[in-house]
Amino acid sequence: QSDVPRPRGVSLSKASLYSPTKDFTCFDGTITIPFSYVNDDYCDCFDGSDEPGTSACLNGVFHCTNAGHRPQNIPSSRVNDGVCDCCDGTDEYANPEICSNTCEELGKEARAEALRLAELYKAGGHLRLELIEKGNKKRNEMAEQLSQLENDKTEAEKIKAEKETLKNDLEAKENDALKVYREAEELEKQKKLEEEREKTVKEAMEHFERFDSNSDGELTVDEIKVANVFDKNKDGEVDEEEVQFFFEGHEKMDKENFVTTTWPLLKPLLMMEQGMFKPADDEEKDPDVDGEAEEHQADLDSEYEGNEEDAGDLELQEDNEEQESDSEHSSTYDEETQKLVDEATEARRQYTDAERTVREIESNIRNIKQNLEKDYGLQQEYATLDGQCFEYEDKEYVYKLCMFQKVTQKSKNGGAEIGLGNWGEWAGGDLNKYSAMRYTNGVACWNGPSRMTTVNINCGLETNILSVTEPFRCEYKIELSTPAACDESSPTQQHSSHDEL
Amino acid sequence: VDRNNFKTCDQSGFCKRLRALKPEKSQYSLNVDTVIVHGNVLSAEVVTVDTESEKKTVLWHYALKLSALADGTFRVELDEADPLYPRYRTQLALDGEPKPDGLKLVSNEQGKLTLINSQGHKVIITSEPLKFEFLDLAGDVAVVLNENSQLLVEPLRVRREKEDETAWSENFKSHHDSKPRGNEAVSLDISFPDADHVYGIPEHTDKFSLRTTSSGEPYRLYNLDVFEYELDSRMAIYGAVPVLYSHGAKRSAAVFWHNSAETWVDVVNYADGTVVSSLVNLVTGGHKRRVDARFMSESGIIDAFVMLGPSPSDVFRQYATLTGPAPIPPKFSLAYHQSRWNYVDEADVRGVDDNFDAHDIPADVVWLDIEYTDRKKYFTWDAEKFPHPAEMVANLTAKGRKLVVIIDPHIKREAGYFLHEDATDNGYYVKDKDGKDYEGWCWPGSSSYLDFFNPVVSKYYAERYRFENFPGTSKDVHIWNDMNEPSVFNGPEITMPKDCRHYKPPQDGQDGLASFWEHRHVHNEYGLWNIRATHDGMRLRSDHKYRPFILTRSTFAGTQRYAAVWTGDNAAEWGFLAVSVPMCLSLAASGVSFCGSDVGGFFKYPEAELMTRWYQAGAFQAFFRAHSHIETKRREPWLYDPATAALLRDANRRRYALIDYWYTLFYEHSIDKLPVMRPLFQHYPKEEETFTIDDQYLLGDKLLVRPVVEPGVSSVKVYLPGAASHTLWYDVDTYQAHAAAGWLNQPVTISKIPVYQRGGSIVPRKERVRRSSALMADDPYTLIVALDHNKTAHGSLYIDDGETYEYRNNKYIYAKIAFEPNVMTYTFVNDQASYPTRSWVERIVIAGIKTPPKTAKLNQGDKQVPLQMTLHKGNDVLVIRKPGAIMALSWSIAFSY
Repeated sequence: QSDVPRPRGVSLSKASLYSPTKDFTCFDGTITIPFSYVNDDYCDCFDGSDEPGTSACLNGVFHCTNAGHRPQNIPSSRVNDGVCDCCDGTDEYANPEICSNTCEELGKEARAEALRLAELYKAGGHLRLELIEKGNKKRNEMAEQLSQLENDKTEAEKIKAEKETLKNDLEAKENDALKVYREAEELEKQKKLEEEREKTVKEAMEHFERFDSNSDGELTVDEIKVANVFDKNKDGEVDEEEVQFFFEGHEKMDKENFVTTTWPLLKPLLMMEQGMFKPADDEEKDPDVDGEAEEHQADLDSEYEGNEEDAGDLELQEDNEEQESDSEHSSTYDEETQKLVDEATEARRQYTDAERTVREIESNIRNIKQNLEKDYGLQQEYATLDGQCFEYEDKEYVYKLCMFQKVTQKSKNGGAEIGLGNWGEWAGGDLNKYSAMRYTNGVACWNGPSRMTTVNINCGLETNILSVTEPFRCEYKIELSTPAACDESSPTQQHSSHDEL
Repeated sequence: VDRNNFKTCDQSGFCKRLRALKPEKSQYSLNVDTVIVHGNVLSAEVVTVDTESEKKTVLWHYALKLSALADGTFRVELDEADPLYPRYRTQLALDGEPKPDGLKLVSNEQGKLTLINSQGHKVIITSEPLKFEFLDLAGDVAVVLNENSQLLVEPLRVRREKEDETAWSENFKSHHDSKPRGNEAVSLDISFPDADHVYGIPEHTDKFSLRTTSSGEPYRLYNLDVFEYELDSRMAIYGAVPVLYSHGAKRSAAVFWHNSAETWVDVVNYADGTVVSSLVNLVTGGHKRRVDARFMSESGIIDAFVMLGPSPSDVFRQYATLTGPAPIPPKFSLAYHQSRWNYVDEADVRGVDDNFDAHDIPADVVWLDIEYTDRKKYFTWDAEKFPHPAEMVANLTAKGRKLVVIIDPHIKREAGYFLHEDATDNGYYVKDKDGKDYEGWCWPGSSSYLDFFNPVVSKYYAERYRFENFPGTSKDVHIWNDMNEPSVFNGPEITMPKDCRHYKPPQDGQDGLASFWEHRHVHNEYGLWNIRATHDGMRLRSDHKYRPFILTRSTFAGTQRYAAVWTGDNAAEWGFLAVSVPMCLSLAASGVSFCGSDVGGFFKYPEAELMTRWYQAGAFQAFFRAHSHIETKRREPWLYDPATAALLRDANRRRYALIDYWYTLFYEHSIDKLPVMRPLFQHYPKEEETFTIDDQYLLGDKLLVRPVVEPGVSSVKVYLPGAASHTLWYDVDTYQAHAAAGWLNQPVTISKIPVYQRGGSIVPRKERVRRSSALMADDPYTLIVALDHNKTAHGSLYIDDGETYEYRNNKYIYAKIAFEPNVMTYTFVNDQASYPTRSWVERIVIAGIKTPPKTAKLNQGDKQVPLQMTLHKGNDVLVIRKPGAIMALSWSIAFSY
């Protein structure tokens, strides 16, 4: 094949475009030049097509045949630059002695590698078939489960409706019976409030009179400036800001305004001085830290298992708390009322149970639907891997990949697990979508983006992690091998097994 | 920036003290009876007199020396006649002893001495009060010293009992400076009559043309590691070059303040609206063209070089003659550098290297920041991440690429680390105020700092660079000396305490405070000692065969002799892209032509447009390196969208196509000492419009560059100078000629920045851009001939092996290329020199040709070859096809019409 006459650097398929008996027209059609200008080491064509065998055109392409191995196209700028780019050495024809022909050797290696891969894919292909069968089965089971759950849901909703009616009836009766008690309670509360208010006014007036040094019934700025209790920031003087704070912009305060405006602001300061009220700082610090930690933990949880089931649980908890506080003060009812209350309580409990059952079923349905919507590969070959976790240890960390769920990293020196991403999407590109997975939205990096992980998937007889690296800051890369990827018809497999000449 | 970390003038004891001092009359007078003129030197006694009292008792004696130096330069030195301890004289800034000129005393009458040098420049010294006037050749006063009576040398004294503590120590934040010698500041004012502007005293983020400082802080010169430094500021940053240039339509002049201590500079421009009118009224004749400046330094002596120009090129040359030009850099260092804090391991380096090829983007150098070391111990490798450095380097060099690794001057204090143990055992570290090894905090944690002032230490350090002492390195591994201000995280102003002690050669009778230098005396010079030792080491390691490349952050007068400089830790913001031009212009004018900024910005992430504009700008700045902070998103060119990556590739290719033009410029700089990057007024000194232009510049005298530093623009304003001489400027992208007529509105796209070639010039290009500049060595040239209105053009070309010192043995080509309507010639300037290059001429493009020749014939040796020509672009661009002339020999092309 290589004995077809053609200019240097031209592939067999393009040989016919270079005819020595005719003028040469650039591929882009713009210029026609004598054939002697082809490969004369001067760039005439804008598209570089007149210099396939020299470095004259910046945008040119040099073709090397590489007999015994794969042919190759390299940029013209690599021709005669002193670096051997083609295994046949033809790109360095100006100094042929610097490159030896390594194509045979490389071709042999490549063929051996292709053979190894073919065998691997063959062996892996059997395992993959099993995975496909299991995957399909799993999906069928899930579909069955789903229809069962749909039935259960209808049933459970019916029960819920019944229980709701019952509960409403009994609650109406209970309500009537409790009305008397509630009114009495309300009166008692009003009375207490009134007493409280009187006490406040009295206390406020005592202080008002103390500060009102000229006893004219009005407090002025000058009057409070001498009272150091108004020195809120404790800098030794009562400044404009502090006056503004306590007087809310007024120049003076009568008794009424003092009670409603100034006193509530002043009282905590007085109490603090008397040692009755500790400043918030010390006390709050620790709980605050705990609070943050909990919040953080909650964040993590919802990040990894961010489905609505959790939210449901929380609601239930709240319900329970309400009930408890309700029953707390129900100590002194008469017997009949007590019976009505008990019945209503029981009806509420039953309703809550029925409601929970419906929610649980709905949650299961959602989960299954979500899983059914997941893309487990062309033939469900990845379905059984969902939820399976694989670990990898390096010097500093233990990495864990839970397929279709999340990726985490844990330092061997202790510390919390750090999320490197949650299942996002297949990311192998158009050519082979299922050759890579992307896990996104991990814990944010300091001063940077959220962590994310790309999992490159290759054919192997076992599913395990080969390596974990962090090529870009906060962007992790996992090399995973699995029989699920041993698809003999996949484009990458075709590429690597059919490229020898 | 956290300004609280850095002193204002008021917080700096001597600045506050001196700035407040504005005497009506100078206390200093020259004792006429002591004048001796011998050789090129006038020496005399100067005294201060107590003017308060009737008796006029002499307070203090000083020794004055005025020297005439070659090339219109004078030097004025004023030291105490008999100081209590020797005062520090800056040691490394000068490139050897300046060349003397003749000096003659012309007259000595009525308290005025008149002297003249052999060129005809006069100096008039008024004895009381002391004043120096330097006259240009026309007899006009160009520079005056002590016009404003701000000459001051605080004499060293013994501390009196019960003396106020504040004069003998200072506090800043939690830091205490013990100031054992007390006050020892020096100050001098300089007037530039007829000047419109002053320039220089880098490094600041202010405009190129300096502003009046009366209503704010003076410009500060104190090498500091300023985290997130701010724009439009006179604050000190990493570099300090105390040279000040003045320029007006009448002349240029300059003063070099030869002092390495903390220095502040006040500027008063009388044309500035903010200058109080009373000051203006003081100037006789009511003419307002004048700029005054004042240097104030914490210690040292008065040592001022006065340079009389008269043109901008003259003053730039005069300064670079004193401190030395940059030697020819290794050629690769003028190509593209790819850096990041950090390329994490060998696989990463390999990946970056491979990706440049995969995306066909040329690159010459990959850089390794501090993480390559074994836990910040310099001269070691992280054994996990870089187990095979030699192999990694070989992989790069196989494609003509190089590696640069960082070596900082702080040394980790860790038992078992050879450098620390050697330094501790032998007393190589800088000492603290009590004489113990000074300990500060830097990248490795607890660190100490080598005292390069001790020749033994510098030699020891230099030897660490030997290949056998730094395994894994080779001649293709070069060095980055960062943090050499020095940066000390827990020190005052993030640097070394001023009362630390440096080595001083022992001398009889000099003990106690006279037996060492304090850091305050030498601070701005510390980095220079560091890079000098590195430079020695890198020459040593190859037996002086190969040229080293060093990058430094700390900068001082003379730095250019050893290293390139970058503008430190900038940010991915448009303002930092814009300021890279005035910052490098200022450095280039001050001797440091090899300057650049971190392309893309160090902190933060540049979006595609900013990144594109930065590459396009960087491709036309001397030091072209992309770099980024460890916490930022990765940003190698191929990580951008394909359209942006293509634009970045194009920017790099533009650089590589001009690599021989750059190399020639740097060769010419080493000979003529002119800046490579030039302000417009350097070549158009009468065009007042150019005096404040600092967003465009000239590369040599042939290319005019106006980078686009604004987002989202579709046109930019460009000033095309030279209307008076009918200059033409050819757009390098289209060969469209613009007649110089001041401001032009130039449309731009995202792929275009305005670059013009001056009519009358010839620029060599290499259009076969390859993976690295080394692989292009033998490639042919395209010569771009841009004709002036006389249809002529001139250019030059320098060729050598790109990496050795063999050019010093005449192994080089320096050719002049001339085009005239009838003949184009390529001739060697030095017939003794030659270089066996295999390069040839593949194309000659002649732009602006109105009547094309009918025939062209190449003459080389005894060959005569007819050449083919084609006309393009509206018939005014003529392309000679493949002349094939060999660059190793001279040639000519004859044209007939």
